[in-house]
Amino acid sequence: MVSGQKKNKSGKGFRLRKTDTMLVRMIGQSKGQFIAVLTIIVMGITTYTALNMTSVNMNNTVETYYRENNFADLFVQTAPIPGQLPEKLENIRGIRTAQGRITMDVPLVTDDGKERVNLRLITTTGSEKELDRSTLLKGKMISGKGSEVMLIEQFAKARGIDVGDKIKIQAGGVQRTLEVAAIVANPEYIYLMENGQSIMPDDKNFGVGYVPEQFGQQIAGLPGNFNEILIRYEDGVDEEALIDDVENALDLYGVRQIVKQKDQLSNSIIEQELTQLDSMADTIPILFLLVAGLILMMMLARLVKKERIKIGVLKAIGYRDRQVLFHYVKYALISGILGGALGSVLGMALAGGMTRLYLEYFHIPLLRIEFYYSYLAYAVLLSAAFCALSGMIGARGALKIAPADAMRAEAPKTGKRILLEKLPFFWKCLSFSSKMISKNIFRNKKRTLFVLAGITLTYAMMLFTSSMPDVMNQMMNEHFKEFQKMDYNISFRSPVGKEAVRDMTHLIDVDYIEGKLEYPFELTNGNKKQAVSIIGLSRDTKFYSFRGAGGEKKEIPKQGLLITENLAKALDVKTGDMILVKSYIPNRDDVSLPVKGIIKQALGINAYMDIDAMGEALLEKNLINGVYADSRDPNINEELIRAGNVASVMSIADTRAVYDEYMTLMALSIGAMVVFSGILGFCIVYNATIVSLGEREMEFSSLRVLGFSNLEIFFMIVRENTVIMVLGILLGIPTGFLMAKYSTAAFSTDLYTLDMSPTLNALVMAGVYTVGFILLAQLATYRKIRKLDFLQALKNREA
Amino acid sequence: MVILRAENLSKSYQMGEIEVKALQDASFEIQEGEFVVILGPSGSGKSTLLNIIGGMDLPTGGKVFLRGEEITAYSEKELTEYRRNKVGFVFQFYNIMANLTAEENVELATEISEDPLPIGEIMEAVGLFDRRDHFPAQLSGGEQQRVSIARAVAKNPEILLCDEPTGALDFNTGITILGLLRKVNRDMRKTVIVITHNSDIAYMADRVIRMRSGMIVEDHINESPMAVEDIKW
Repeated sequence: MVSGQKKNKSGKGFRLRKTDTMLVRMIGQSKGQFIAVLTIIVMGITTYTALNMTSVNMNNTVETYYRENNFADLFVQTAPIPGQLPEKLENIRGIRTAQGRITMDVPLVTDDGKERVNLRLITTTGSEKELDRSTLLKGKMISGKGSEVMLIEQFAKARGIDVGDKIKIQAGGVQRTLEVAAIVANPEYIYLMENGQSIMPDDKNFGVGYVPEQFGQQIAGLPGNFNEILIRYEDGVDEEALIDDVENALDLYGVRQIVKQKDQLSNSIIEQELTQLDSMADTIPILFLLVAGLILMMMLARLVKKERIKIGVLKAIGYRDRQVLFHYVKYALISGILGGALGSVLGMALAGGMTRLYLEYFHIPLLRIEFYYSYLAYAVLLSAAFCALSGMIGARGALKIAPADAMRAEAPKTGKRILLEKLPFFWKCLSFSSKMISKNIFRNKKRTLFVLAGITLTYAMMLFTSSMPDVMNQMMNEHFKEFQKMDYNISFRSPVGKEAVRDMTHLIDVDYIEGKLEYPFELTNGNKKQAVSIIGLSRDTKFYSFRGAGGEKKEIPKQGLLITENLAKALDVKTGDMILVKSYIPNRDDVSLPVKGIIKQALGINAYMDIDAMGEALLEKNLINGVYADSRDPNINEELIRAGNVASVMSIADTRAVYDEYMTLMALSIGAMVVFSGILGFCIVYNATIVSLGEREMEFSSLRVLGFSNLEIFFMIVRENTVIMVLGILLGIPTGFLMAKYSTAAFSTDLYTLDMSPTLNALVMAGVYTVGFILLAQLATYRKIRKLDFLQALKNREA
Repeated sequence: MVILRAENLSKSYQMGEIEVKALQDASFEIQEGEFVVILGPSGSGKSTLLNIIGGMDLPTGGKVFLRGEEITAYSEKELTEYRRNKVGFVFQFYNIMANLTAEENVELATEISEDPLPIGEIMEAVGLFDRRDHFPAQLSGGEQQRVSIARAVAKNPEILLCDEPTGALDFNTGITILGLLRKVNRDMRKTVIVITHNSDIAYMADRVIRMRSGMIVEDHINESPMAVEDIKW
C-alpha cells in the first residue's frame, strides 16, 4: 500500500491539464457544432482582415499615386486664356503651382462608321513637375511638337490599340492621324468616365489621349492659349477663399467650371468605393462575430446545464469557481483564437487578391500590397475577446451551481401553459402534434427568438442582395425609359441658334428632335454650393417626364427651376426657396431663381428650366447647345462625325449595353453574398437544432421507446423549425425593406439615387435560398438523430 | 485523537411556505483513523450532514471542526481549499468524467492538490493498473467506483467521505468496494465516513451514527467490527 510521499510533478515535459484534455475531447465529440461556429468566426475575421487590409492598401496606393503624379487640387475650366496667365496665378497666396492645358473632346474615326467614339485630348509638356502627370506603361513619353499621342491604358486595351499604331481623329472639321507613342495611366482617369451623366466607364467608346502642347493648341484652334488650369495648393490653405481669388483673377476671361479634387469625377468615385469598403469592413465582421457570439452563448449555456453534475463534482474535488468557468470559456476562446488565426490568414491571402483586383479595376499602375501583420494580431485579439466574452456570458451559470445542489437531481421545470392555450378556441382546433410543436417552440423562448432572429437576418440579407439586380434594372428603366426617352443625346461644341434643330434634320434621319441648352452653373443657397448642369428644355418636351417624390407629374415652370431631390438636399432648399445661380461665363451677373418643384431622378444631379426662360435669364435668347433625338437611322454616328460642331453623341442603347456587361460582374458578388448569408443561416439553425436535440435527448429517447421512428422524430423537429422559418421569413420581409431603406440613403450619391425597395422576384428568390439553406441544416441534424443511443440516454442521469 | 467534531448542527430549507428541517441539533465526534458508518433511511439528513462535513454546504446553525479548526467559519475560497486538500468524495453514481480515462480521472484531482499520492501506486492499489487507459464507458460499475475511490484517495485527504458507495452496485461488487474502503482506512490510515441506508454495512464500522428525521438518534462504538467478507445483505 502506498504512503503519503510527494509525487514529483516536474520533469514530465508539457502535458495538458486534465480539464483541458476533457475540453479537447469535448470539441472532438461535437465537431459539427464547433466547425459551424468556427465557420462563422472565420468568415467574420476573413472579411475583417481582407476588407481592412484592402482598404489600407488602396488608400495608401491612391495617395502615393496622387502624390507621385502631382494630382491637382483644383480643376478650372475656362474660356480661352493666354498662355502666361497660369504662371501669374501662382502669385495668389496659397497656390503652389498653376498649370495651363488644353482639353478637348474629339471623335475618333473608326472603321465601323456606326460607332461613336469620343477621345478626350489633353495637352502635356512631359515635364516631371507637370500636374496630373501620366505614368508611362509602354512606349516613350512625348513632349515635342509632333502629332503623337499617349493613350490611356483602359481605352487602348479595349480597342486593341498598341504603341506604334496610328489613330485617326476628326478635329476642327479635319481628319488627322496621330501616332500612338505610349500607353499611359493617369490619376485623373483612374475611373475612366466621360462625365457625370455616364454611370460607368465605357472604355471602348470613351478614351483619353495626351498630345504635345503645341499640337493640341493647334488642333483646338487656340495657339498659345489654354482652356483649363490645374492648381496645386500650399499646405493648410483656405480652399473657398482661394477659389474666390482664382475666380476673380479669371473673371475677365470666363470660368466654365471649377472642380475641387474631392468632386473630381474619378476621384469622387474612388473615394466612394473606399468609403463603402471601410463601412463594410466596420459592419460585416461585427455582424458575423455577433452571430458567432450568440451561438457560443447558447451552446455553452446548454452545456453548463447539461454538465451540472460534472461541475458539481469538479467543485467538490476542489476546483475553484473561476477554474470551472474558465474551463467552459476556453471552449469559446479556442474557437475565437482558432477562428481568428485561420480567418486572418485567409483574409490576408484574400486581401492581396482583392487589392490586386481593385488596382486592376481602377487601372492604378502601382502595386503597393503590404501585409500589415498588426491586423493578424488585431483580428485574433478581436475574435478571442468577442468569443471569450460570449463564453463568459453563456457559461456564467456554472458559477451559480453549488456542489451540494448539483449532486441532487434537478427539480423538473414547472410545466406552464403557453400563450396559445389561453385562446381555447384556437387551441382546440389544433391537432395533437401541432400542440406538441407549439409547446416545444415556446419551451425555450430565448432560443426560439435567436433562431427566429437568425432566419430573419438571413432572409433579409438575401432579400436585400437579390434585390440589387432588379433595383439597378429598375433604376435604368426608370431613368432611360420613363424619365428620359430619347435615343440620342447630342451635344455641340459651341452654342448655336435655335434654327440649328432644323439643320440637324437635314443631316440625320430623325423621327423627332428637340433642342436643349445645357450649361454648368454654381448653385448657391447660403453657404451651401453645388456645381450642376442646368438643362433648358422646351416646356412641352416629349423626351422628359418629371415626377415629384410622390410620383405626381411635374411640369417645367415658365420661370424658375425644377431641381432633383439630391440637389435639393445638397443645397437644403424646398419648393418656393430662392437659389442664387452663379454663371461661369464672364461678365454675367448672378441670378436668383425660385425653386418651383423638386423631382425624382435616379442618375445625376441637375436642375431643369424652360429653354427660353433659361436663355433669357442666364445666357442669351434663342440659344441651344445640343439636341435630343429619336432616330432609327443606323448611320447616325457616321453622319455626325463629319459635323464639325458636334462634341459628343450619347446613345442610350450603348449606355444600357455597358450596364448589362457590368451586371454580369455584379452577379458574382451577389452570388457570394447569398452564399455568405446562407452559411450564416445554416450555422444558426444547425447549432440551435443540435443544442435542442441534446436538451431533449431524454424526451426523444422516451419517444423511441414508445415506438417512434427516427424519421418521425426528425420530422417533429423539422416541423418546429419550419414554423420558426416561416415566421422568420415573414419578419425578414419588413427587415429587408428596412435594410433597403437604410441603404437607399447609404448608396445614394451625387451621381445616382438608388431606390432599394425589394421586388417581388427578390422576395421569392430570397425565400427559395433561405429555405434551401435551412433544409440543408436540418438534413445535417438527421445524422445526429440517427446516432442517438436512446437506451444509454435513458440510463444517463444527466439530461 | 478527535479529527472531526460537529456541534449542534442544524440545517433548514424553505420550500414554498414550509420550512424543512433537514438537520437538527446534530453533535458528534470522530476519532482519527476511524471507519464511521452514518446510517439512516432516505430523508434522514445524512447526505446533508455529509455535504456540510465535506464543505459543500453550510449549516443554518452549529459548527464543524477539523482538527480543531472551524470549517463552518470558512469563506467560499477557504472551503474550496478545504475540499481540495482535506477531503475526498466518493459518490453513489461514481460521477467520473466520461471523456477522461480512468487514470486521467484520478489526475484531474491530483493536479490541483498540494500533496498528492503517486498515481501509479493508487491505480495499483485499487486494482485498476491494467485498465488505467480505459474510458468509463469501457468499465463496469464496480470498476468505475474504484476510479472514484482512487480519485478521492489520490489527493491524500484527511477524511474520505462516501455517499452510498455501494448503492448502485450488486452485492459482490459492493463487498469488494467496501473491502477497498476498509483497506484505505487501515493501510493508509485514512478516516473514512460512509453514509448508507444499508444497516448491514454498519457491522464493519468502528463507529456507527444512526440518524432519523434530521436528528442523531444513536452514536456508538462498535467494539468488534466484522470483517468485510462476512457481511451479508
